Amino acid sequence: MANFDMSAHVRRINRQDRIATGVLVSIAAFVMLMLAAIVTYILVAGAPKLFDLNFLTGKPQQFKEGGGIGPELFNSFYLLVLTLLISVPLSLGAAIFLSQYAPDNAITAVAKTAIETLSSLPSVVVGLFGFLFFVLYMGWGFSIIAGAVALTMFNIPILVRVIQQALEDVPRSQRDAGLAMGLTRWETTIHVLLPAAMPAIVTGVVLSAGRVFGEAAALIFTAGQSAPVLDFTCLDFSSPSCPWNVFRPAETLAVHIWKINSEGVVPDLTAISNGTAAVLMVCILAFNILARVIGKYLERRLTSE
Amino acid sequence: MSRENESVGACALQVGDSRSDGGTLLSTRDLTVCYGSNEALHPTSLDFAAGQVTALIGPSGCGKSTFLRCLNLMNREIPKCKIGGEALYHGRNINTRKENLFELRKSIGMVFQQPTPFRKSIRDNILFAPKRHGLVSGKEDCDALVEQSLRAGALWDEVRDKLDESAYTLSGGQQQRLCIARTLAMHPDVVLFDEPCSALDPISTFTVEETIRSIAESGICAIIVTHNMEQATRVSDNTAFFYVGDMVETGPTKRLFSQPEDKRLQDYLTGRFG
Repeated sequence: MANFDMSAHVRRINRQDRIATGVLVSIAAFVMLMLAAIVTYILVAGAPKLFDLNFLTGKPQQFKEGGGIGPELFNSFYLLVLTLLISVPLSLGAAIFLSQYAPDNAITAVAKTAIETLSSLPSVVVGLFGFLFFVLYMGWGFSIIAGAVALTMFNIPILVRVIQQALEDVPRSQRDAGLAMGLTRWETTIHVLLPAAMPAIVTGVVLSAGRVFGEAAALIFTAGQSAPVLDFTCLDFSSPSCPWNVFRPAETLAVHIWKINSEGVVPDLTAISNGTAAVLMVCILAFNILARVIGKYLERRLTSE
Repeated sequence: MSRENESVGACALQVGDSRSDGGTLLSTRDLTVCYGSNEALHPTSLDFAAGQVTALIGPSGCGKSTFLRCLNLMNREIPKCKIGGEALYHGRNINTRKENLFELRKSIGMVFQQPTPFRKSIRDNILFAPKRHGLVSGKEDCDALVEQSLRAGALWDEVRDKLDESAYTLSGGQQQRLCIARTLAMHPDVVLFDEPCSALDPISTFTVEETIRSIAESGICAIIVTHNMEQATRVSDNTAFFYVGDMVETGPTKRLFSQPEDKRLQDYLTGRFG
């Protein structure tokens, strides 16, 4: 009798296990299918433009067919680099302070809450704040620098959390071992904790770069919606056609998609917006792959594993 | 009396009879530790001599590790932890705000319960701290220090051909000996061991114990926290028994284990608690 009960029980839990596995597999399959469908759709729709060099490097057209996205592509990367140049050092400093130095008191708690709140702020709000403060009050106009600073505000909270988490994931015993050898907190952080956390930090930075790269709402009001024709031979930093001039307006890929679809009048606007979407997605995919490769490489370099 | 002891502690004697008492290096006077308002260690006074191994024993939570972490002021890294009383190192009280922690911890090394190698190569694990302290420069000096430290840690023969591999490729016992070697690389005169063998298998434990004995022979003052009474008998010259925040009894290891005076130590030795 006891044996019979046992086997009935075993049968029941086995059945439960199979059902649970089945349900989970189908949920995962459903999600994967959706993603694959979206990715395939964007790639297929954008394929004709994706490999068209004239489209990738050409100037956008206002009324005629056959416009390109050259300036937008450049603007997107330039804006990204500027944003990372500002936001990575700031976030690194803030994260090191919060994870290693900050005393456990009310001020620290307020700072942490503020960062959490900022990280869930809708990007359109960041954009409007940037418009009122940087574009109008500071008088920078629609400009790359206004866009980069707005994106920094949008990027810092995420980066601080990622870096802080990466530092806190390094076992506490590593820090104690450093301190017990008479090293300062700073030496321990820089030479022991940071190398150990570096792969996770790099992955976090590159993933946040993908987010920044695809951001539109915060840029519509700050970096603007016009893309002056760029002259790469121009080194006059005050000229709007100088690509490196940070005070010129700069439409990015994501903003371009938004603008073409909302107010574009070119006859081939569907093709252009599909092509731009495909380019944007391929870039972000490249960031993700890059994140893994760099993370792995750094891990090997820094730990001699 | 001494004859009787010899027969009791014959095993311990073989390793530890021929050493010199180099005089008191480190001592505590009414040292206390409070976590918030809770006094985790009641006033404790102990002396530690150069060239000797002292074992701190007692059941879990008795304050032995807490006491150990005062000797290099590591307890200061714990929020709300307050160290009271005096800790005298070379006759100078180190429990003051003015104490230079970095110099102090350079000469009072510490090895933790879990092996804590850095995620660096074996060579860099040894050289990292000495380089930061400016103790070595130049490739030859560095190579010499690496070899000397790894020999002192009884690890040289096993790793001499793979110094540039990650310390994480080593076994647990090897990692712990690397941590000992790394500590010795700074030429400390005191080394604190916080249950250094509790994460190791018996063979690694044996090697680490031998290493502890040999660094004491070389004139270093070694202090080891252990919950393993056999280990205390094997490695230590002197033992101090802690119980619920009190240092109950101290003396030469042989005497303490053969003729415990305090009732609590007698109970602990016979396994009535702990």
